[in-house]
Amino acid sequence: MSLSKKTLLAVALGFIVIQFIQPTRNNNDRILTTDISKIVSIPDSVQAILKNACYDCHSNNTAYPWYSNIQPTSWLMAKHIRKAKEMLNFSEFGNYSLRRRISKLDGISNSIKDNIMPISSYKLMHKNAQLSPNQMMLIINWALDSKDSLSGIK
Amino acid sequence: MKKAIFGLAIAATSLVSCGSQSNKSARNQDKGSDKQAVSQTGNGTAKTATVTDVKNTVSIKEIVNQYLIIKNGLANDNGQVAANGGKAFVKSIGKRDTKSFTAEQKKIWDDITPDAKEMAEHIGANPDKLEHQREHFEILSKDLYDLVKAFGGGQVLYKDFDPMYNGGKGAFWLSESKEIKNPYMGKAMFDSGSVKEEIKYP
Repeated sequence: MSLSKKTLLAVALGFIVIQFIQPTRNNNDRILTTDISKIVSIPDSVQAILKNACYDCHSNNTAYPWYSNIQPTSWLMAKHIRKAKEMLNFSEFGNYSLRRRISKLDGISNSIKDNIMPISSYKLMHKNAQLSPNQMMLIINWALDSKDSLSGIK
Repeated sequence: MKKAIFGLAIAATSLVSCGSQSNKSARNQDKGSDKQAVSQTGNGTAKTATVTDVKNTVSIKEIVNQYLIIKNGLANDNGQVAANGGKAFVKSIGKRDTKSFTAEQKKIWDDITPDAKEMAEHIGANPDKLEHQREHFEILSKDLYDLVKAFGGGQVLYKDFDPMYNGGKGAFWLSESKEIKNPYMGKAMFDSGSVKEEIKYP
């Protein structure tokens, strides 16, 4: 067997082996008491967008696509979700202090406005996450209204 | 538990008389230390500004200085300077010795600094995105104002207001000088805004 064939075989074997090492899935159906829906009111239209475009990475419940079962994709995803949840976790929104809730809502509005979120690689694979200008306005207005109501302005 | 946290947050907010629009009344209740004074704004017109004495002397001068570096970076449209300031701000928060704080101060510190740190991290991580830095700077400014009110800034500071930022909602910032150098507008409209409050120290 030539060297290149050996290398190829090793890579193939490695690929098979890593399929058996799957990270824990981010799947927790239970709606926690800390869920954002328990803190601020969310109209259905907004809730649908959050679910389609945000919750896969920013909540405790990811709707995994088929390719998430193939390694090393699942590792990359797990890492990405962990980081995203560190920044903002809608499922545990109630654990933030009042000050941080207000800041997070500000951040939501800003990152949608600036097209920072949802990130482009995610939008590439999720048509639902490609927000129309109207959907963007819905999220921005909801975030700002919620922020005002938490700040006691409204 | 949630109620307790909420209560605490409310208490902390009213204590330090947070700078959001809703707290004008809270500020007015800050008896004894507020008086009206005339101060000169950047564009030469005399406006009325509040003068506040911060009696507390546990200063957070180093943190304030890093904030001012961010502020001046943004005012000069220099995202790299702002980013470096953001990183230094995070470090200053991390190494601040909190042992000398009273229980009340510790509470305020624990409420504000995680938020402030996060904002500074974003500013530090985005040297090439001025507008993004400015968005985080707006929240950081609120946090810093509350901190300064609770701890003292270690120097006289001015609370300046830009009525145009944020689609006309306006935003404020803290400055070390009476001269207006607007960090939200940058060089394009550097002198827009006015002094709203002079925070004396100690």
